[in-house]
Amino acid sequence: MSDITSRERVLKLFSGGEVDRTPCFSGMGNVSTEGLKALGYKFASVHLDAKKMADSAATSYKLFGYECGVLPFDLCVEAEALGCRINVYAHSEDLLYPTIKEKVIHNENEMDIAIPDNFINKGRIPLVCEAIGLMKKDIGNEVAVGSYVLGPFTLAGQIMELNDLLKLSFKKPDKVGKLLDLLSEAIIMAAGEYEKAGVDYITIREMGATSDVLSPRVFKSLIFPYLKKIVGKLKVPAVIHTCGKTNDIVTSMLETGARAISVDQKNDVQESRKKLGKDALLFGNFDPYNVLVTGAPEAVKEAMKKCIDDGVSAVWPGCDIWPTVPAENFKAMMEAVKNYRR
Amino acid sequence: MLTEEKKKELLERLKNAVIQYDEDTAKEAAQEALDVGMEANDAIFNGLVSGMQEVGRLFESQEYFVPELLMCADALYAGLDILKPHVKQLDLGVKGSVVIGTVEGDVHDIGKNIVKMMFDVAGFKVYDLGRDVPLDKFVEEQMKTDSDLVCLSAMMTTTMTGMKKVIDDLRKKNPKVKIMIGGAPVSQDIAEKWGADGYAKDATNALKDAINMISSLKKLKEEAEAGKIDR
Ligand code: B12
Repeated sequence: MSDITSRERVLKLFSGGEVDRTPCFSGMGNVSTEGLKALGYKFASVHLDAKKMADSAATSYKLFGYECGVLPFDLCVEAEALGCRINVYAHSEDLLYPTIKEKVIHNENEMDIAIPDNFINKGRIPLVCEAIGLMKKDIGNEVAVGSYVLGPFTLAGQIMELNDLLKLSFKKPDKVGKLLDLLSEAIIMAAGEYEKAGVDYITIREMGATSDVLSPRVFKSLIFPYLKKIVGKLKVPAVIHTCGKTNDIVTSMLETGARAISVDQKNDVQESRKKLGKDALLFGNFDPYNVLVTGAPEAVKEAMKKCIDDGVSAVWPGCDIWPTVPAENFKAMMEAVKNYRR
Repeated sequence: MLTEEKKKELLERLKNAVIQYDEDTAKEAAQEALDVGMEANDAIFNGLVSGMQEVGRLFESQEYFVPELLMCADALYAGLDILKPHVKQLDLGVKGSVVIGTVEGDVHDIGKNIVKMMFDVAGFKVYDLGRDVPLDKFVEEQMKTDSDLVCLSAMMTTTMTGMKKVIDDLRKKNPKVKIMIGGAPVSQDIAEKWGADGYAKDATNALKDAINMISSLKKLKEEAEAGKIDR
């Protein structure tokens, strides 16, 4: 059994087969400062260069045996292609994640937007596709390669003021629904390009609709239909991620047709498992900062075992791997998952 | 004539307008309160603000979420806009001004906006610098406005370190200013280590602490001006 590759293990998991052990991977950003150091790249430089992006995304596998390669690292790709201006903090030596500098919708009256012609060639969509290709050539025989898109609500929050979006979700749900519908089309197009470039799975990150911010009721009535629409159009396995205490919506997340559900550390994952039943793919849910970055290696190991005991199908972080993860913690994580059986 | 009964009814309407995020009713009730000769202070604190307190409770118990909170705040502001010009003197013991923002590299501003709202409600003058605010800007704005308090928000462990730079800078330029920090990765420990005057885990506590800090600041100033220490 031990000669099965990480790639085979993850693909088998997605296709519903028995796996020899719980895989340890993610569908969200996985770059680390250790990886960047090994390559001599500055964080600010990896967002605009396909080769650097691909190289960086491969390091977590190459250095630590993490069972995937995922890119990009920021949440601005679709928004940029829709016309937003972004800031990558090019001159910063710090770890600053790219942000939206200028939104395309400035007020309620501007919500009636159209997807730009030639959308799939706008912004960094081609760059991300190129990077996927490079990463696949590099490590694609050994590990599964993935990418992510934003969920429609989170994307809406990137292209317009989130405060307005949140209020309008109540006051004018039809108007918001129309925008989400349009954004779903854009998301489907971007995801389609990533599929052509060769990804094995895609994560839909709907973190803006976390239960820390938005009620489960609104999630179900306003957001669910569009997530379902997107999932329906994906050809590779789709994973849906939402942050926060998501147990009130995990069943809806699964009803979108998504192949797997990803939850974060605030969620009681034992409870999620109960709600979803034993066959659903449930990924989670260690804390990528308070455990993986700041914990001692022993604490990291315990946290990984707990994920497995709690019933996850794959050990997977609650959000992006936080770059400052120490090498020994990354190693401790992989070792714990490889050697532990429930 | 303003009967006790009428007063009670109006306060109830103001309160419920906020809870039910009904801007129109908040405006109407605020205008009516003025028309019948109610004290603006009374209408604000026993009507609007008392509604907002209830909203805070609903938020904590997860009956309300951020959108509801924002809409309630809009209703509150709608009433406040009408009442504020008639306020004799905001009776909180202090009148403060505050510079607030989310630090550079960080666009998480939901929490910051909630904290800001609490300051607005309490009658503070608020200079909101927004999100992703260049670190120098905090110092600059504090100097320009001579604010009593600077509030820094950060939601990421990497951007959080920017707060330390702002604190050091502010201390150098203006040792007296009070500084409060917050956001999910921040803790009391960090606040102490970095030399902030305060930390609060949520908006209500932020306001309480701020009022205490500013009162003590004002007291010191007054005492210095009066040249005496006792009271
Ligand atoms: C919504 C969200 C987003 C939205 C933000 C939209 C917006 N306009 O704010 C979007 C989708 C844009 C986003 C982007 C990113 N995010 Co984000 N996001 C969140 C999330 C899910 C919720 C935050 C929130 O609003 N909570 C609700 C509010 C009400 O709570 P609060 O902010 O804590 O505020 C309260 C208190 O903290 C306090 N408070 C707040 N400020 C202040 C200030 C003072 C002075 C005081 C006294 C008190 C105080 O009072 C508030 C009211 O009670 C959190 C996870 C989480 N649950 O915290 C991740 C999280 C903050 N994000 C995270 C990450 C990694 C990112 C990205 C880097 C992802 C990426 N790959 O690009 C980007 C960052 C881009 C950037 N450079 O800024 C990580 C940060 C990890 C870390 N180690 O620091 C978190 C913690 C998720 C996680 N579990 O790992 N995100």
